[in-house]
Amino acid sequence: MMNFKREFRQNYSPAMRLAVISLVLCGLVFPLVITGIAQVFLPSQANGSLVQLHGKNVGSSLIAQTFSLPIFFHPRNDSASGVDPDITVKDAYSQIPRISSATDISVDMLQQIVNQNEEGTFWIFGTPYVNVLRLNLVLIQTNNSAYGAFQ
Amino acid sequence: MILVVAILSGRFLAPYITRVFSRSPSRLDKVLNPIEKGIYRLISVDPARGMGWKEYFLAALVVNIFQMAIAFIIFAFQGVLPLNPQGFPGLSWDLAFMQVISFGTNTNLQHYNGEGNCIQLPNCAALTPGVPGLSYLSEMMAVQFLQFTSAATGICVAVAMIRGFVAHSKDLGNFYVDFTRSLTRILFPLCFVASLVFVGLGVPQTLTGYHIVSTVEGATTRATQTILVGPVASLVSIMQLGTNGGGYYGANSAYPFQNPNPASDIFQIFLMLLIPTTLCFVFGQLTGKKRETRPILWGAYSLFALDLLIAFTPNLPVVGPGMEVRFGGFFSVFWTVVTTAVTTGSVNASLSGLNPLVILSAFNGMLIQATPGGKGVGVMYMVMFIILTVFIVGLMSGRTPEYLGLKITARDVKLVMIAFLVHPVIVLVPTVLAYSTGAAGAIGVGTSSIGFTKIFYEFTSAAANNGSDFLGASANTPFFNISTALVMFLGRFAPIGLLLSLGGSMINRKRLTTEAGVRTDSPLFALILVGSILVLVLLTFFPFLALGPILEFFQGHVNGF
Amino acid sequence: MSTRLSKMMSARRTTLISRKVLIDSLVRLSPLRLIANPVMLIVEITFFIVIAMALDPEAFPRLASSSLQVFYVEVALILLITVWFSTLSDALAESQAKNTANSLRRLEMEVSSKKILIEAGSRRIVPTPSRELRTGDLILLEKNDTVPIDAQVLEGIAMVDESLLTGESTAVRKAPGDDVIGGSQVLSDTLTAKVTVNPDETFINQMIRMVESSKRPKTPNEQAVTIVLIGLTAIFTILIGALLGVSLVLSLAADLSVLIALYVCLLPTTIGALLPSIGLSGISRLYKEKIVAKSGRAVETAGDTDVILLDKTGTITVGNRQAVEFLPFLEFNERDVGEAAFLASWHDDTPEGRSLIRLAYEAGFVPKEMNALDASEVYEFSASTRTSGVKLAGGTGFMLPKSGGTGRERGRLRRKFEPHVEGGVPIGSDETEIIKGAPDAIKKIVKSVPADYDKIVQEISAAGDTAMALSRNREAIGIVRLRDVLKPDIREKIMAVKVMGIRPVMITGDQPLTAKSIAAEVGIDEYQPEAKPEDKYDIVKREQAETRIVAMIGDGTNDAPALAMADVGLAMNSGTQAAKEAANMVDLESNPAKIIEVVMLGKQLLMTRGAVTTFSIANDVAKYFAIMPVLFASTVPELKALNVLGLGLNTAVLSALIFNAIIIPLLIPLAMRGVTFKPSGTMTLFLKNTMIYGFGGVIVPFVGIKLIDIAISLV
Repeated sequence: MMNFKREFRQNYSPAMRLAVISLVLCGLVFPLVITGIAQVFLPSQANGSLVQLHGKNVGSSLIAQTFSLPIFFHPRNDSASGVDPDITVKDAYSQIPRISSATDISVDMLQQIVNQNEEGTFWIFGTPYVNVLRLNLVLIQTNNSAYGAFQ
Repeated sequence: MILVVAILSGRFLAPYITRVFSRSPSRLDKVLNPIEKGIYRLISVDPARGMGWKEYFLAALVVNIFQMAIAFIIFAFQGVLPLNPQGFPGLSWDLAFMQVISFGTNTNLQHYNGEGNCIQLPNCAALTPGVPGLSYLSEMMAVQFLQFTSAATGICVAVAMIRGFVAHSKDLGNFYVDFTRSLTRILFPLCFVASLVFVGLGVPQTLTGYHIVSTVEGATTRATQTILVGPVASLVSIMQLGTNGGGYYGANSAYPFQNPNPASDIFQIFLMLLIPTTLCFVFGQLTGKKRETRPILWGAYSLFALDLLIAFTPNLPVVGPGMEVRFGGFFSVFWTVVTTAVTTGSVNASLSGLNPLVILSAFNGMLIQATPGGKGVGVMYMVMFIILTVFIVGLMSGRTPEYLGLKITARDVKLVMIAFLVHPVIVLVPTVLAYSTGAAGAIGVGTSSIGFTKIFYEFTSAAANNGSDFLGASANTPFFNISTALVMFLGRFAPIGLLLSLGGSMINRKRLTTEAGVRTDSPLFALILVGSILVLVLLTFFPFLALGPILEFFQGHVNGF
Repeated sequence: MSTRLSKMMSARRTTLISRKVLIDSLVRLSPLRLIANPVMLIVEITFFIVIAMALDPEAFPRLASSSLQVFYVEVALILLITVWFSTLSDALAESQAKNTANSLRRLEMEVSSKKILIEAGSRRIVPTPSRELRTGDLILLEKNDTVPIDAQVLEGIAMVDESLLTGESTAVRKAPGDDVIGGSQVLSDTLTAKVTVNPDETFINQMIRMVESSKRPKTPNEQAVTIVLIGLTAIFTILIGALLGVSLVLSLAADLSVLIALYVCLLPTTIGALLPSIGLSGISRLYKEKIVAKSGRAVETAGDTDVILLDKTGTITVGNRQAVEFLPFLEFNERDVGEAAFLASWHDDTPEGRSLIRLAYEAGFVPKEMNALDASEVYEFSASTRTSGVKLAGGTGFMLPKSGGTGRERGRLRRKFEPHVEGGVPIGSDETEIIKGAPDAIKKIVKSVPADYDKIVQEISAAGDTAMALSRNREAIGIVRLRDVLKPDIREKIMAVKVMGIRPVMITGDQPLTAKSIAAEVGIDEYQPEAKPEDKYDIVKREQAETRIVAMIGDGTNDAPALAMADVGLAMNSGTQAAKEAANMVDLESNPAKIIEVVMLGKQLLMTRGAVTTFSIANDVAKYFAIMPVLFASTVPELKALNVLGLGLNTAVLSALIFNAIIIPLLIPLAMRGVTFKPSGTMTLFLKNTMIYGFGGVIVPFVGIKLIDIAISLV
């Protein structure tokens, strides 16, 4: 028991100081250094991969945005994060008839747009998918007539 | 593929880590030696002085407690501290208590959402009280801080235990030195690279507040969207590499900012596996018996393969509810198996979206804790299982049991049995208490197999220092905060203390250089080891598993519905 | 062991099993006696709980139902029988061990001894019960007395019968300095002896202490196994407690008796029941080999042996060499050698000497000087010259007086009759002096060394035989080839030892060539030729420095340091007290080859313990599948999917419980006789046994429970 007390006292002060030093190193220096480097060299990603339309930030390509108008592709709303920015290509196809009838853009044209923006690098394991915000921005930029309100 | 890469990387990283802890000269010495020496001088520690197991354990415990105390203050007072652009209020004392233990024990069970209520789309500009969130300062100086220190502690205690098995070792090393070196030479360099890779892949790293943008449709509807940025990349790197698992966001690695694409997903799986796998090799290299890596590595990965087999039994999963499209079904399930196998506990899909058999496999990983298990402690648990197997089954070779040439004494068996016993006590008892006190009912968890699974999973995850859970912020009640905090603390430090004591008792013990005993480095031994682990763990938990995920499976629950 | 004795033993055993063992096993059911066996104590406690449930189900609300009273009685009975099987196995093993021990001793019978008291210079004989003798007491042993206690002879020479203790039927000659063992019988003459042990310190009493389960100290390995069992018991206690809690809070309506059945099935009852008897019967198997171990630990250590030191003589070869061939030098013929050998060995009563006479006689080499043998002078074997021989006076010549006068006078006489001597002892002209001995010793005393001397000697050594040279009147005439006779089946035993990964090292006083040849013949790769007793100590030290476990035998005082240092030291009962004290085992039959059996026994003991432990744990898997489907049958019927055996819902619990109980008596024979194994490497044994008791342990209960279930449902 005496031994235990002595050992405790021996460790008390170095332990306290090590705790503070590690706080500064791990909690402050490290994240600040990373932030500095990231902001200088990778500012776009570091700030949330923001997407611009006409020079104005309209969202992040990584975060789902609510689309409720029939002229747009709609994101999912049951996914794990709640902000899944992607839908499967199958899902996108299923929305094409609605968009086509609302915008008069041909089904073929829409299918082509979906196919061009298809992602899915998981070889046989992944399901091909498309990013909803990017898809909608492509729609706006390529179809002045239908999306005039958003120009 | 990922597994092969992880094992190969572990193989190549291990000699470096071994050298870090055997304090061999290195090219980094020029830069790091002055820094480390400065730290030793600041804390007035003689780096040459070795410690016995008691002192080592005590030092680790005291340092960890101080670190948790600092983090507690930051959590509790984040409301008045800087770097809080969202103006989140301080956490309640019970939540702050639970969270510091959670991060300090490498568990990372989270009863809050990092982003508070902002998970509700489209608009969370107006913060509503209720679901606690964390300020940037808390994310950095409490969460990341403890994620680094608990990971470093895990590596240290594992290395210390291994040192006991090294021939001619006089002590278990110096905790202060090990801790410092594992930060400066292992975690900081690796996390530095990993953080920048993550930023490159799209993970934010900024200290400006959340962006509020006018949405595309906002041109007509004036709708806005809050983009939840923050110092995410630096946290994600250590949370995966350190097998911590506590994410920046409530949705963890399902949240696109934490895990933006398939590449980041694979990279995170790789990071999770990296150090636990490496430590399997370090065991063999540090003890000078490289072949002894085999039972640990083979045993771990065979069990891991078995977990995968169970998880993928119900067909190859497709994108279901609760999964992220960019990962698909396969990688959601694969991630879940990995994250529980290495006790990280991060998620990239909602657990309730997974088949009960995937959950069963997750239980398996958490109950065994050595497949390959958490950073450091995984190796310790595997050594525990090897000693048990060598003792019980190995007797049948007609020799008194030995491991690494060390005769296994009654005291060793006692330590190992107690370490093994800790787990059922801290998992089973609180599970029953959660129901008998009405705490489960209070947060709306029912008595069905689904509900039972959730509660059982919560304490299994807490005890295994894993951190994945079903309940999330809904478990922010005094009962769950305090009970899980105690479970996590015991689940972390009781086995560490016992197994350090085991390592310590090996010092100066007579070592047989003959190889006449049971060859633990043979593939058949690994097979028997796996069999013994399964029998021991299943015997201990089978009835509870039967009432949880197994019953769920029989009742035909698929994807939580 | 004499057949008379073994018959006596087996007769006594059969009567003991039926009554004493039965009563003993019932007495052991007392909870107080069961404290030493926590697993069984818990089973007995659950028995009382289930009995209470049977008597008053209402006292257990939500846990018992009055419609199941009959079932409770059945469960309780099986639980009690489970405990009884365990106590029965204990009682059996203990009685078996005691029987063996008892048969080895007479000491326990109160023997009246004749204690010598010396008072005021005069001796007085006081009749004293053997129990009251103490170390240092003097006792008188007369013809037909039973030696009351181990003692050392101080005065007198007598023949003593030790057959009851050693199985050796010939009487043993005891002279001052020899030890007499308590229980042996004086056949002739009178001895005065000093008591060397206190009554409770005798070998026999040490043995008895080791077989009384209550007093027997647990060996280190037994302690460790016990810790595993307690650990498992704790785990299952927590599990079942938690399960009971879950059943209550989730209203799953599990019946307490079924939960208890699951509990008892999971507990390591099989090994819990058999652990004491495994250790005990291991020791009694040693007794049957007539070996007394001073501690159980030594027996366990024997299983770890890496190196085994084997004395060539007595272990590898029967004690004596046999003459097989006469090899004359150039100027002589075979008959010369044979006759010389005959004469030189006439007075040599050793088996070696007798074999010389036999060989010569069978070849017809009977010397004409035979009639002079009676009047010959015998040179007894002397260790310094390493020769022996005989001097015959010629029929007509002057007979040198054998005694009388001074040595100087006799020398003068001798010189007179033998004037032409060049060195050495002079010999009379009509005298014949024949000396036999080691070739190098003879070489020193002969006048000239024949040219083929060394060649013949070397050829013999190279063939693994021993050469004995013969000289007649200081002239080398020939060599006798003596051959070591290998013990029957020693080659197989050495082979088995080697297969098990143990290195045999042969220790012999022979010269290197002979040693090499014998070693090669029995398959030993390492040997220490020309060994002196202290070499053994060096070898033990050297091997232990390389962390090997060394087993050895020894009998002389010279061996004592090595015996004390060796991890397993087996002393011969015929050896000195110092050797016996230094060793941790004593072989009453003084058969050094038994060291190999000791090692095998040690291995067998550990293997048996591991096998039953593994089997016991592996069994649990099947029991889950039997009981879990029933446990919550009323509330969670989906779990019936786990009923892979298709057991009847009403019979599954009883089947599992009966299997759990009946496996104990089924394994008693295994526990008593030990796991049988073919000598093979550590890994092979490990894998083979793991297949049988580990994998088999998972499979067997599935089959067993199903069969019992079928049987019950038929009844």
